[in-house]
Amino acid sequence: MVPHRYRWIIASLFLSVALALAACAQPAATPAPATATAPAAPQPTPTAAPAQPTPTAAPKGIIFGMLLVGPYNDRGWSQAHYEAGKYVEKKLPGAKMLYIDKVNPADRPGTTASQLAEELVAQGAKVIIFNSDDHKDEAIKFARAHPDIVVIHASGDDAWKEGKNYKGIPNLANVMGQMEYGKMIAGCAAALTTQTGKIGYLGPLINDETRRLAASAYLGAKYCWEKYLNKPAADLKFKVTWIGFWFHIPGVTADPTQVAQDFINSGYDVIISGIDTTEALREAAKATQAGKKVWAIPYDYIGACEEAPDVCLGVPYFNWGPSYLAHIKAVLEGTWKPSWDWVGPDWKDINNPDTSHVGFVKGKALSPEASARLDEFIKGLGDGSIQLWKGPIRLQDGTLYVEEGKVATPQQIWYLPQLLEGMEGQSVPTK
Amino acid sequence: MKVEMRHISKSFGPVRALQDVSLTVEAGTIHGLLGENGAGKTTLMKILSGYLRPDRGEIFLDGRPVRFTSPAEGLRHGIGMLHQDPMDFPAMSVLDNFMMGHEGGFWLDRRGARRALQELARQFGFDLDPDARVDRLTVGERQQLELLRLLWRGVRVLILDEPTTGISAPQKVRLFETLRRLAGEGKTIIFVTHKLEEVEELCHRVTVLRQGHLAGEATPPYSPQRLIEMMFGRPLPMPERQPVPPGEPVLEIQNLVVGDHRLRLSRANLIVRSGEIIGLAGMEGSGQQLFMRACAGLVRPWEGSIRVRGKDLTGKPYHAFLEAGVLFVPANRLEEGLIPGLTLTEHFQLVYPNGRYLIDWEQARAEAQRRIRDFNIRGKPETVVEALSGGNQQRTLLALIRTPAHLLLLEHPTRGLDVESSMWVWRRLKERAQEGAALMVISSDLQELLQYCDRIIVFFSGRISEPIAAEELTLDRLGHMIAGRGW
Amino acid sequence: MKEVLLPRARPSRWVEFGFQGLSILMALLFTTLVLLMAGAPPIEAYRQVLEGAFGSLKRATDILVAWVPLMLVTSGLLLTFTAGLWNIGVEGQIVLGAIAATGLMRALQETSLPPSLILILAMAAGMVGGAAWASLVGLLKIYGGVHEIFGGLGLNFVATTMILWLIFGPWKRPGIGSMSGTEPFPEHLWLPVFPGLRLSPWALLLALLSVALVYVLLRNTYFGLRLKAIGKNIRAAHRLGVPTARYLLLALLGCGAMAGLAGAIQVTAVYHRLIPPISSGYGYLGLLVAMLANYRVSWSVPVAFFFAALNIGSIQLPITLKLDSTLSGVMQGALVLFVLLMQGARARWRSKPVTEQGDDA
Repeated sequence: MVPHRYRWIIASLFLSVALALAACAQPAATPAPATATAPAAPQPTPTAAPAQPTPTAAPKGIIFGMLLVGPYNDRGWSQAHYEAGKYVEKKLPGAKMLYIDKVNPADRPGTTASQLAEELVAQGAKVIIFNSDDHKDEAIKFARAHPDIVVIHASGDDAWKEGKNYKGIPNLANVMGQMEYGKMIAGCAAALTTQTGKIGYLGPLINDETRRLAASAYLGAKYCWEKYLNKPAADLKFKVTWIGFWFHIPGVTADPTQVAQDFINSGYDVIISGIDTTEALREAAKATQAGKKVWAIPYDYIGACEEAPDVCLGVPYFNWGPSYLAHIKAVLEGTWKPSWDWVGPDWKDINNPDTSHVGFVKGKALSPEASARLDEFIKGLGDGSIQLWKGPIRLQDGTLYVEEGKVATPQQIWYLPQLLEGMEGQSVPTK
Repeated sequence: MKVEMRHISKSFGPVRALQDVSLTVEAGTIHGLLGENGAGKTTLMKILSGYLRPDRGEIFLDGRPVRFTSPAEGLRHGIGMLHQDPMDFPAMSVLDNFMMGHEGGFWLDRRGARRALQELARQFGFDLDPDARVDRLTVGERQQLELLRLLWRGVRVLILDEPTTGISAPQKVRLFETLRRLAGEGKTIIFVTHKLEEVEELCHRVTVLRQGHLAGEATPPYSPQRLIEMMFGRPLPMPERQPVPPGEPVLEIQNLVVGDHRLRLSRANLIVRSGEIIGLAGMEGSGQQLFMRACAGLVRPWEGSIRVRGKDLTGKPYHAFLEAGVLFVPANRLEEGLIPGLTLTEHFQLVYPNGRYLIDWEQARAEAQRRIRDFNIRGKPETVVEALSGGNQQRTLLALIRTPAHLLLLEHPTRGLDVESSMWVWRRLKERAQEGAALMVISSDLQELLQYCDRIIVFFSGRISEPIAAEELTLDRLGHMIAGRGW
Repeated sequence: MKEVLLPRARPSRWVEFGFQGLSILMALLFTTLVLLMAGAPPIEAYRQVLEGAFGSLKRATDILVAWVPLMLVTSGLLLTFTAGLWNIGVEGQIVLGAIAATGLMRALQETSLPPSLILILAMAAGMVGGAAWASLVGLLKIYGGVHEIFGGLGLNFVATTMILWLIFGPWKRPGIGSMSGTEPFPEHLWLPVFPGLRLSPWALLLALLSVALVYVLLRNTYFGLRLKAIGKNIRAAHRLGVPTARYLLLALLGCGAMAGLAGAIQVTAVYHRLIPPISSGYGYLGLLVAMLANYRVSWSVPVAFFFAALNIGSIQLPITLKLDSTLSGVMQGALVLFVLLMQGARARWRSKPVTEQGDDA
């Protein structure tokens, strides 16, 4: 009978493939460039590229790849990156973006981010942007395995010499915006609008980044509550509820829709979103239609308010374009160096698309007087007259974190170990 | 409605269930369909009601040819069948069951259905609580429910398959009254049974089937003698029998009471000795299967004890019986006896492993070849069992009886076999007995029981007779006894 | 000589191949239709998938990376399918294997034990974890009368809850509360791979061994024969003296162990940490593979390879054609559907001649 023979043919086929791999995989690993300092100059690098010649050799062109953790049109974090890529394509002739979205193991089972990054490289990408905190380990793994590719990881700290996790990888850079300011503005807008004095913060997962952003929102809210409304801080409720990931994964994370509804049902009338998607805004709009007065502040993406402008107080957003443009230009010109960029707003105009990494657009729902105060607040932040990360700042468990009169160091802010005193919600303190 | 079935034939694989059977039932009559088990009564009725499609033959209702592809279609033509096993939904209420399958659009009209149920129940004097759960009802009540349901659906031809099995005497009286009344209203009733007395009591006419053939028809006054003859065939001259000297007791049964949800058997005491063959006679469902399965360790007895070769096996699992040398050969060969999809070689390897982990297929094949020769099986070692004919399946079952076997329990070992195959099977069984095994055999072929068994126990509606020496019995008397007479 | 011993359906092998080929054709047609409806060029899409699967050595070996756990799971499922069991709980068994392996590695990673020993123990722990979870399905079925599909579904749910609780609770990364996974293991605790590739020779070896083991078990041992007997007719198998409860349990244990091993490999060789979707859906995919392979070991090897290749190849679709890569899922689902459809058609086609020729008495 035929298949009896087949079975062994198949089995031996597998074995021989395995052995062949062991043999010929050897040379693929060796051609790591000796020039560790300036990798990925547009010189012909001996990569194990696919058979067909890639047209990237043209001196002016460059392909950059982007891995988006969520859908490219999520009206949040991933879309902000996607638009930034489009921005780079527009501003830098010859630059071409490749992207894969939904890069997470739930949406793409059986694959890893580094594997997908390699697919982008196989299509000719010379720069790879990993857009999520969730890609941290994969970005490092990939950068180490591909010294000839420039890796930009958004939101990490592995390239921060003064940071805790400095890895010294010569082809890895980090880019992050100083969203703390955006969140302070959001917090202020929330405090100026709330009628119940209860602000809900729809948090993603818990880590350094999300703690400091939630804390910043609180600091902004508290400042405006006390200074502009002259109300005691004790009357302001600020509660953080985490869903467990950057966006909803059914069956895995808490449902942000549900969390937003819970906020609304227990009297929270402003919801600040810290997640990649817009559930808070959607639920606020629904509740408002049902006769309640609820507002929301989405996050990440400049156009996030469009979904429900009537309940949107504004949105703090990232404008990754200029930073990515600078990096990719440097790669093209051969001047790229690894760096850790924690880029703030352009205080002259925080909404300048070519200069400001972090911005805040006001929403239709913001009242005129609140709007005026908010402008005052932004101005204060910009000229340094308002300094919210100034002591005394106490952590949630009561320990003094920043002493009286001192201003928190970047490390203290970046690595905030807990939420702050006065905030309600889970902290997961670092030991 | 007048029902005519013409030249109906139907086979199930190798088994010819019906061959060229014709039946005519006039409207407004109660027509009996009589026959021993396996005669084809149920198959014929399932064809009439649309559950089965005939291989050949036609059906006419009031002279118009019809062809059903489903029971629902049969029901639309006004033919309803009351099955032997209630086809209801035990976990649901009486009312829900009553409404089951009713064609009345998408929405349920519970109130209307309830009214209809109560009205019908009142008419026929049935006492049914619409809200009771069906699994709390007796078999008779379930039957009443099914009957009402069919009437509500507007049947004009009502088929009842062995309806008196498992119902109480008053329920039976009520049922018969109802049937007479329905016939009087012009409905056509087909009454399937194997009980002579019921035919005598109820039927305007009777058709007898034997082994898939039409054996004859009769009208009152009935001659029981003739009916029995039609059912079982003409008595053959008894052969010489050589009595086996009884040996050691193999099976000892004391005060055994067995039962299931519909039948409780009378208390039994029995000793079967080595070399003896005991026949269990009775219409299907009279309790003999239950009794045998209790002896095989497949049914846990309610009371009493079972000892095999001195060892108390009461309440022990089937495997303990198997290890004690009790071997059970079921009637439904492809459901309980053999494994469709497995070859003869694989069957033999299952029962006679070589004691190692690995199967030596060369050797297994050779061994299978030997057994196939020994047992005269027409098949190859690699033939899957479902491709064998009934006779060869039976031979395979016998070849699978492992040695040593001390007690052999066989259900219908020759059912569906031709004369030659049956004789071969009995030769084999006799050999086993002579080698010292005790045998217990269920068969609906009374003649073979008389011919080959030493003693015969008769079952009727759960009653168990004393073992009767075969010499003291005649076919006639046995036929009367299994039909519930002459006890 | 041996070939005649396996029971074979009567229609010739070519007819069978013909039906299988027809169903593949229909699945292809269906997928093409879906592509057209999505406004994508079908030929180009297929070319991309092919290119994405076999375009380079690395991609081809990536197929094997996916093939390894899929094949392990499928091998296990062949045991349970042979015994007539629908082990839907295989997903949970993968998860429990991954949990057990992770737990063991976490407990031992600080010790001075050699990494190879820790990895071996992790594999063993994975097998034990998966088998233990599978045994629950078996015990529920045998002693609780709970059908294995429902027991399995329930236990899958419990396994998901458990892995989420561990990742968000006791095993969370310091200072972080995220569903994204546990702290990655140090590199010396990664299952070694071929240099420059993602494929681990050890994982590949384990998968090949499991295939060989199941092949021999089902073909040449009494264990396999008894499983087959139970699967084809449990009542008759019981009558013929097969201890059915024990063998049902053994089949589940074997399947659970292999699924657990797949989970352990996902942890040690693919993700190097525990993540909520650690099973990558290989459990459900394995069920499809086994069905498509008509429950035969020899066919399941290439079918699993084909499915893995589809998964790897379809990564290209979002990059080059902006298509969702779930197309591979559509293709796989359509294949199984059409194969089942064809099996039905074949049974109908076959039923006639059987009645005639069966009567050989």
